Amino acid sequence: MPATLTKTSIRRALFVLALLFLSSCNPFSQSNSQKVFRVNLGTEPPSLDWSLATDHVSFNVIANLMVGLTEFDKNLKPAPVIASSWDILEGGKRIVFHLRDDVAWSDGQKVRAQDFEYSWKRLLNPKTASEYAYILFDILNAEEYHEGKTTDEELVGVKSRDDRTLEVKLKHPASYFLSITTFEVTYPQRQDMVEKFGSKWTEPDNIVTNGPFLLASWKHENEIRLKANPGFFLGKPAIEKVDMFMINEKTTALAMYEQGQLDFLDNHSIPILEKPRLAKAPGFQKVPQLRGYYYGFVTDRKPFNDVRVRKAFSMAIDRTVFPKILHGGEQPASSWIPPGMPAHNPRIGLTYNPPEARRLLREAGYPDGKGFPQITLGYNTDEDHKIVAEAVQGMWKRNLGVLARLENQEWKVYLKKLQTDPPDVFRLGWGADYPDPDNFMKLFTALSGNNNTRWKNPRYDQLLELAAGEFGEKKRAKLYDEAQKILCETDLPIVPLFTTAESTVLSPRYTGLEYSSMGRLILRNVRLKESNQFPAPAARGRD
Amino acid sequence: MARFLLRRLLHGLAVLWVVVTLTFILMHVTPGGPFDRERRLPPEVLANIAAKYHLDEPLLKQYARYLQAILRGDLGPSYKYIDRNVSDIVIDTLPVSALLGILALLFALAFSFPVGIGAAYYHNSWIDRWCLLFATLGISLPHFILGALLIWLFSLQLGWFQAGRWENLASVVLPTITLGAAPAAYLSYLLRSTLLETLGEDFIRTARAKGLKEIAVLLKHALNNSLIPTLTVLGPLAAALITGSFVVEYIFALPGMGRFFITAVTDRDYPLIMGVTLVYTVLLVCANLAVDLLYSFVDPRIKSR
Repeated sequence: MPATLTKTSIRRALFVLALLFLSSCNPFSQSNSQKVFRVNLGTEPPSLDWSLATDHVSFNVIANLMVGLTEFDKNLKPAPVIASSWDILEGGKRIVFHLRDDVAWSDGQKVRAQDFEYSWKRLLNPKTASEYAYILFDILNAEEYHEGKTTDEELVGVKSRDDRTLEVKLKHPASYFLSITTFEVTYPQRQDMVEKFGSKWTEPDNIVTNGPFLLASWKHENEIRLKANPGFFLGKPAIEKVDMFMINEKTTALAMYEQGQLDFLDNHSIPILEKPRLAKAPGFQKVPQLRGYYYGFVTDRKPFNDVRVRKAFSMAIDRTVFPKILHGGEQPASSWIPPGMPAHNPRIGLTYNPPEARRLLREAGYPDGKGFPQITLGYNTDEDHKIVAEAVQGMWKRNLGVLARLENQEWKVYLKKLQTDPPDVFRLGWGADYPDPDNFMKLFTALSGNNNTRWKNPRYDQLLELAAGEFGEKKRAKLYDEAQKILCETDLPIVPLFTTAESTVLSPRYTGLEYSSMGRLILRNVRLKESNQFPAPAARGRD
Repeated sequence: MARFLLRRLLHGLAVLWVVVTLTFILMHVTPGGPFDRERRLPPEVLANIAAKYHLDEPLLKQYARYLQAILRGDLGPSYKYIDRNVSDIVIDTLPVSALLGILALLFALAFSFPVGIGAAYYHNSWIDRWCLLFATLGISLPHFILGALLIWLFSLQLGWFQAGRWENLASVVLPTITLGAAPAAYLSYLLRSTLLETLGEDFIRTARAKGLKEIAVLLKHALNNSLIPTLTVLGPLAAALITGSFVVEYIFALPGMGRFFITAVTDRDYPLIMGVTLVYTVLLVCANLAVDLLYSFVDPRIKSR
């Protein structure tokens, strides 16, 4: 091979390498300016289109780019944002929202009621194929429009009367509907932009937003950069820029936090074994979540078709064990509506009582577990779920003399199995889409697709319908109390075990970050502390 | 040569078709679908999603539709990353994996040749034993252990490199070493053993009898004749390195393609599974073809055959 050819080949190879590097590297280098707040998202957001997003990573970005009609306040009640007020008419079947006139999109145009009408109808449009379309099925003709039974979107019960007035007609009174308007999928959209750019309308050069931050750049799989919106109607955020990284590996994220390259970590970025150490660090907190963890019984086959057996298995579980073995700030729960949510009642539910559990099992024909058939406890493959399942297995063996077989499966395989041939006892959880008990309690109605227990009780369904139409808080709570007693005391298709919490750590240099009970990261009030007397995280990370 | 290339090209296309077909069948018989969720979707919502992605059509029709699309160069929309096409994802991520893979390969070659040759030259000496120890360590240390060790040492203790992310030249150092360590060790081992075998051949004895220096015998005669096994493994190795490593990209938070070999499967993102498999197969076929061509340079007897 001639030497010149070799040299040329080497030059070409180096040129290709340089091109590869340039095309793959981040064009902007990491800024250590204290005006840039750096958080870890964990993964790439699957979508920033709030009609199509379904996951907490996407919603954590969207929640900082956009605001909607309402947001939930510290008591988890809907508070005005773009809607300055609303009228609830016709016994709750018609709601009229009055919009502020000082809210602008990032291109200067005013946010109008038509933007909400378009967004909601787009969510419902069958062609959009949104997973969250059902969230608006309480609206008149919404379900029919989504199913294609009617193609006339004018029949759907959401209409802008003028730029500032949005009218919503419901097919039945729904006292929880205001809470739905806190959910990101109901945020307004600009029809002209969505139609102009198609599926690329959420890219930084195309998207228009109305929230505290603007989408400055989006390097897929790597980093999103937000910049403060000077035109935000509630005032420009104190932080100029936010860098959102996509670091999957928890130990890497923690190492970067300790090197001072990240300013905030949430639960998805903190290794379980490091939580006790980090708990001593300033800025660490455990935020209770509106997320319940439960075991369900398959109630239409032996042995769990006998309510006495279900009660015995529930009363044989000591729920106080879970926070000690999981270290995540879990709160033991015997009722289903989580703490912090309206109508939460900790007095409901069966508590730990091994003698009574044994008595019930004996009464059902299985003294000391003798003659009890082989049962399977199923969960999806995960270290935490395994720890819980082994603890429960031990308690059932000790208190009832029954040894359950543990069976774990990969997540999607597990979900398919729940639909086709569920194990006798199965693990699942539920996190709130919006902070209203309806979102939790509806899971176990006869027609709910999420009711894997195959249990139904007409009185339970009736109570939920009554509660949905009830606007008085106390009366509504009473209805939910009665429904919860059926669910967690008398019929017991499920055993609530605990509600979860998320561990977070914020650099001591910053303050004002809000991490909500639904796992939302709210950054608009983040600011540097005035006297920056704290050491960088790296300095205290290895103490 | 032209006939040879044409034959290999047709062979490559057949391999591609078999891989696409098998992958298509396997992903559809695996339990669980792309839109199975903890919160189960109402049937009418699922029906609209299925219609959007043509999942409501018979499997054979879906297969035919996919084949037609890839012939047009369309890898389809991702089910998970809703606003993006699989082609967008490959274009965004393959350069990162490719660069990392090439650097890891260069690192492996730069390490393995001196070590392999040194070990063979100083056979049974302490140098040979140390080289063997390093080779064994490199092969047996999993990526996640080596990566974690490097982060602990060079990021947390010494502070020389940042623990993760893809930003500048310094950020490729630790991932390159992590990804390149095992191939470097394997290639060293392979080169040493083939060199030792070649050094026992008659033509080497002849070269020595002619009075050639030992280093010349080793580098000029033995090495040339020991390269075929190394070249044979370089093809698949290059394809595997260039398409990325799930573990290395995961540990160092790199925006490469390797992670999708795992996450696309767990998400049941059918078009993305097909897309990354297709890219990997194309690269594998091309790398094997390149190796076949290189054979003829290393050993002219192969060219004549």
